[in-house]
Amino acid sequence: MAETAVTFRRRAEQLVAHLPPLLVEAEHVAAIVAQGVHGRRRVGPGETFWQFRRYERGDAATMIDWRASAKSMRLFVRENEWEAAESVWLWADASASMAFNSRLSDSTKLDRARLLLMALAVLLVRGDENIALLGTDKRPRTGSAALTRFATRLMHESDAEPASLPQHEILPKHAQLVLVGDFLEPIEKLNAMIKHFAGLGVIGHLVQVLDPAEETLPYAGRVLFDGLEREGSMLASRAEALRSDYVSRMQAHREELSRLTRAVRWSFTTHHTDSQPQAALLPLYINLAGQMS
Amino acid sequence: MTTFGPLAFLVPWALIALVLLPLLWWLLKVVPPMPRKVSFPAIRLLFGLDTDRKAAESTPLWLILLRLGLAGLLILAVAHPLVNPSHRTLAPGDMLIVVDDGWASARDWPDRITAVRNLVSLAERQDRAVVLLRTAPQDSGVPMEHSGLMRAEDVGRQLSAMVPSPWPVDRGAAVQTLSDLETVNQVFWISDGVATDNDTAFLTALQETGDVTIMQNHDSEAALVLLAPVDENSFLQISALRAGTGPERRIWVAANDDAGELVARQELVFVPGESRAEALLSVPLELRNQIAQLEIENEPTAAAIVMLDQRWKRPPVGLVAGGDIESQQPLLSPTYFVERALEAAAEVRSAPLELLLDQPPAVIVLADVGVVPETERPALDAWLEEGGVLVRFAGPLFSQEGDDLVPVEIRGRERALGGAMSWSSAQRIAPFDNNSPFAGLLPPPDVLIDRQVLAEPTVDLTAKTWARLEDGTPLVTAEKRGEGWLVLVHTTANTQWTNLPISGLFASMMKRLIDLSQGAGAELGDQPLPAIQSLTGFGFLAPPPASAVAIPANLFEEAVASPETPPGLYGTLDLRRTLNLGETLSAPEQLLVPDSIAAAGFERQEELDLRPFIYGLAALLALIEIYASMALRGLVPSFGTGTRLAAIPLLFLLLAPDAAQAQDELAEDGIPPAALDVRFAYVLTGDEQIDRISYAGLRGLSMILTARTSVEPGEPIGVEIETDDLILYPLVYWPITEDQPVPSGVAKARLDAYLAAGGILIVDTRDADREMEGVTGTGPNAARLPEMLGGLNIPALMRVPSGHVLTQSYYLLTGFPGRWDGGSVWVEQHPGGLNDGVSAIVIGSNDWASAWALNDQLQPLYAVVPGGERQREMAFRFGVNLVMYAMTGNYKADAVHLPAILDRIGQ
Repeated sequence: MAETAVTFRRRAEQLVAHLPPLLVEAEHVAAIVAQGVHGRRRVGPGETFWQFRRYERGDAATMIDWRASAKSMRLFVRENEWEAAESVWLWADASASMAFNSRLSDSTKLDRARLLLMALAVLLVRGDENIALLGTDKRPRTGSAALTRFATRLMHESDAEPASLPQHEILPKHAQLVLVGDFLEPIEKLNAMIKHFAGLGVIGHLVQVLDPAEETLPYAGRVLFDGLEREGSMLASRAEALRSDYVSRMQAHREELSRLTRAVRWSFTTHHTDSQPQAALLPLYINLAGQMS
Repeated sequence: MTTFGPLAFLVPWALIALVLLPLLWWLLKVVPPMPRKVSFPAIRLLFGLDTDRKAAESTPLWLILLRLGLAGLLILAVAHPLVNPSHRTLAPGDMLIVVDDGWASARDWPDRITAVRNLVSLAERQDRAVVLLRTAPQDSGVPMEHSGLMRAEDVGRQLSAMVPSPWPVDRGAAVQTLSDLETVNQVFWISDGVATDNDTAFLTALQETGDVTIMQNHDSEAALVLLAPVDENSFLQISALRAGTGPERRIWVAANDDAGELVARQELVFVPGESRAEALLSVPLELRNQIAQLEIENEPTAAAIVMLDQRWKRPPVGLVAGGDIESQQPLLSPTYFVERALEAAAEVRSAPLELLLDQPPAVIVLADVGVVPETERPALDAWLEEGGVLVRFAGPLFSQEGDDLVPVEIRGRERALGGAMSWSSAQRIAPFDNNSPFAGLLPPPDVLIDRQVLAEPTVDLTAKTWARLEDGTPLVTAEKRGEGWLVLVHTTANTQWTNLPISGLFASMMKRLIDLSQGAGAELGDQPLPAIQSLTGFGFLAPPPASAVAIPANLFEEAVASPETPPGLYGTLDLRRTLNLGETLSAPEQLLVPDSIAAAGFERQEELDLRPFIYGLAALLALIEIYASMALRGLVPSFGTGTRLAAIPLLFLLLAPDAAQAQDELAEDGIPPAALDVRFAYVLTGDEQIDRISYAGLRGLSMILTARTSVEPGEPIGVEIETDDLILYPLVYWPITEDQPVPSGVAKARLDAYLAAGGILIVDTRDADREMEGVTGTGPNAARLPEMLGGLNIPALMRVPSGHVLTQSYYLLTGFPGRWDGGSVWVEQHPGGLNDGVSAIVIGSNDWASAWALNDQLQPLYAVVPGGERQREMAFRFGVNLVMYAMTGNYKADAVHLPAILDRIGQ
C-alpha cells in the first residue's frame, strides 16, 4: 500500500511539475490566436455594449436608451453583444501510437495533441464557454478553476491502456465535440464513432495530428516496421520502394475520413507535429466559432 | 617457410583457407543484411503492401568484394608474409653475435646494424637466445663483457642504441670474455675488416665457442685513415692510408675552418696496389692558418678527421724595439716592417722583454736594442738554451753600446756605404750559400744596403755567416746556442740603413728565420689538459664521454685514442691540443680470413614483416565495411554529414588564400606601391577636411615638381603613423590639428627610426594667421607641439638662418610663405652627421599644403593671405626647395662653397 501511495504522490508531483508549462504554453498559443479572432461581433444577449440603433416599432420601451435619445430628436435602442455560453466537449487520443516522434519533429503527437486541446480550452474559457473532457467530466464548466481541473484530467494517465477512440457516450444535443488524435484506426471503426455522435446531434471537429514521417515514410534500406499498439510487424526489404504506395494509402485514408465528416457537416483538419501549433488552432477555433453562430 | 621470390610465408598452410573464399561469397550473397527496426504507428497502412521486390535484398556486389578482401587479408596475415627473409638455417643452440664497433665500422654502420637485425629476427623465429659481444672498449669505462643470453626482442632494443666508437677494437680483451658461453653453438662475427694483433687468438677462441661465420661488407670499400699533415715548405702534405691494397681509388680531402666552412679541397689518389696516398695542399699562408680541420669527404669515421692545433699554427714571435718614443711611429719604428713581414706567418706580440719572457714565444726579435738589461739576461740565456730563436737587428743604438749577446764580435763603428763621404757605393746582397737557411731565395738587385755593422774577422766568421753583401762582408750571422739560435742581422729592421725591409725578400727571410724554431717555445710541463670535445664514432664533435680523463701536457704525444683519451680537443682556453685518431693508429691492414672459416656478405635489405601492414589494411577495410553496412540499413544520416565533414578541409582551403590576401592588402604583387615611385606622405590626422587639403597640397606640389624638375612623384599617400611603415617615403608632411590624438610610444619610436634613417618630417601648425593678425602667444595647434613631438629624438632647433641650404637648394628664397606668410620656420640647429647634415625635421606654421593645393585644372583651391600670385609662387618654390633638400641632402650645400672651390682649383 505504501508503494501505491508513493507512486501516487510521485505521479501527482510529476503532474504538478508538468502542468504549469503546459498551461503557460497553451496560454501563449491561445494569445496568438485570440489576437486574430475577436468576440462574436454580432448583436445578442450579453452585457457588453455593442451598438445603438434607431428605435423601431416592436422594440420594448425598456430597450430605449434614454440618455442617448436625449441627445437628439430620435429614439435610440441600446444593443449589447451576443454572449452565449456553449458547452464544448474535448478529447485527445492518448493511445500508444500517439507517443511517437520521428527525427523530423521535436515533439510527440501526444504532446502536440494535448497542447492543442489545452490551448483551445484556454481560448474557450476566455470566451466564457463551458468545457468538459470527454469520458471524464460529467458536465461542462467554465472559469479558471475548470481550466485547472481540465488540465489535471488531461494530463492524468490512467493505468488502463487508453483507447484510440472515445467511448460512445451520450452527449447533450447541439454540444460541440473536439477530437484530437491520429485517427489511423480502420475506417469502419471511425465511421461507427462519427455516426454515433452525429446521431446525437453533436457537432464534431476532428483534428488529425500526424508526425511528418507518417506522411512521407522517409525510411530506406531493409527495415523492420513494428506497430506501437501490438498490431504486429512487417519486414520491408527496401523501405523506399513502399513509399509511393504508402503515401497514396495514407491519402486515401484521409480522403475517406474527410468524406465521412463532411457527410455529417463536421470539420476535419490535419496537423503535423513539425509545424507551429497555432497553425492548427486558428482554423479549429474558427470552425468552432462558426458552429456557434 | 615457403618462399616466392623475395616474399615468404612463415605459416604457409594458412593460405589453404583461401579456398574457402568462394564459400564465403555464396554465404554473403544468400544472407541478406540485418534489418533495422523502426517503430511505426501507421503500420496498418503498410500491411499488405508489396514487399516482394527483392532486387536489392541481397548485399551489393562491392560490399561482398569488400568483405571477401577483408577475409582474404586476415588469411594472409595468419600466413605471416615476410619480404627479404633470411634464408639461413640455424644450428641448434644459442647464437653469439660479435660486432666490431670500432672506428672502422662507422662508414657502413647502418648496413652492419641491418645485418645484425636480420640475424636477430632469424634467431627470434627459430627461437634461439642471443649473446651480443661488442669488441670495442665501451666509454662507460666498465671492462669489456658480453651481454649474456638475451631474448631476441631485447637485442633489437639494444641495437637501436648502439653506435660505433671512435677508437680501435680490442679483440685481445674480447677473447677474455668468451670463456663462459657453454650454450652457444654458433658464432656470427660482423667484422670491420681491419686486422689487429690479436686476430688469430680471437678467431681460435671463437672457434672453440661454436661454428664461426665471418660476415664482412663486400660492398663497402676499405677503411681510410687520414694522417696528420706535415708542414712541407709552406705546403701542407696530406697523406691517407687504406686498409689493404686494391684498385685505384680517388678521395677528396676537405680543409675546413673553425666555423666548419670549406677552405680548400685536395684530391688524393691511391695507386693500384698501394695503401698510401699523398698530396700537397697548396693554399696561401693566410688561408692555411685558418684551417682547423681536415677530413676525408664522405667517410664518416673518426679516423678520417684530423683537427689541427697550435702545432700547425703560427709560432708566437715577440718583438722588442729599442729607441725613443719618436721612433715608435709607424714607418719609423724599428719593428714596423718586421711586424708586417711576420703578420701572416706568426703570432706577433710587441712587448718589453721582461713581459715577453714571462711567457716565452718561439722567436724573439730585438730590433736596435743596444744592451739587453742584466736582469733579463739569465732568463733570456736559459730560453735560448732551450730552443728559442733570438733575432737581433743592428741600428744606431746597437752600434753605439753593443753587448756580448751577438754571434760574432762587432767592430766599434758601423760602416756607411755610398754616402757623400764614402768611397764605395751602396752594396747589394750576394746570392745565398747553399748551406744557408736562406738558400733558394733570390736577392733582388734593387735591394741596397747603405750602412751595416761590421764583424771582427775571426776564424769561424765564414761558418757563422748566413748572408753576405757582394763585397763579402756579412749581412746575417748566426750562432747555435744550446738548442736555440742567436741570429744577428747587421743592418736595421727599418729603412734607416737599407731598403731591405721594404722588399719581398725581407718577408721570406723572416719566415725562414722563424722556421728555425721548433714549435712552441714554452715547455708544457705536466699541466693536465682536460678533454673539451670529443669525436664520436661518426666523426662529429660532441661532449666528451664520462670515461674521458685529462692528459698531462708532457705526455700528450704518447696519448692513444681509447675510452679514457677519446680523440678530440683537449686543453684550456689558451692551450688547445688535438688528439687525432689517425695519428695514434698503426697503419691499417686488411683482415685476412682463413679459408677454413665460413665467410658471408651482408644481407643489405632488412627483413620486412608484412603482417602489421596487412592487419592495418584489414582494420581499415573493416571500418569501411561497418560504415557501408550501416549506410545500407539507413543508419547513417545519408550523405549530409559526410559532405559537411568533407567541406571542412575545403573551407580551410578557401580561407587560406583569403587570409593571405588580407595581409597583402596594401601591396600588389608583394611590392608596396611607394617602393616603385617617389611618393610623398602626409600624416592622417583624423580630420577629413585637413587630410583632403594635405592630399591636394602634396598632389599640387607633385604636379609642380613634375613640370619644373626631374623629380616626378606619384600620388601622395596618407599614412597612419601608428601602423604604417614610413621608411619608403622621402618626406612626410604632418599638419597639426587641435584634436589629433597624441602618437603612442610605438608610433614615436617608429618616427624616430624614420628620422634617424634619413627621413624628413615637415610639421605644419597652420596657425601663422594668428601672428599676422597680431594675436600674441602660442596658438592652439602650436601649443600641441610639445606633446605631439615629445619623446622624439629631436635636437635643438633654430629659425632657418639666411644662407641655409633650404633657401638655395633649387630656388633662391628669402621667405617660406604658404597660405599665410610670415610664420617662422625652424630646422635643426646642428644638423646631425648621421643624415648628411640634413635637418630631419622642419617645423613651420604657414599652412603650406593649402597654398600648394591645386585641382585637376591646376587651379588653386585656397586663397593665400595676404595674397597675390607671387606669394603662391613663392610657396611652390619653397616646396620645390624642400623636396630637393629632402632628396639631395647636403649635396646642394656644397654649392654654397662653389666660389671658394673654383677659386682654389681655377688657377
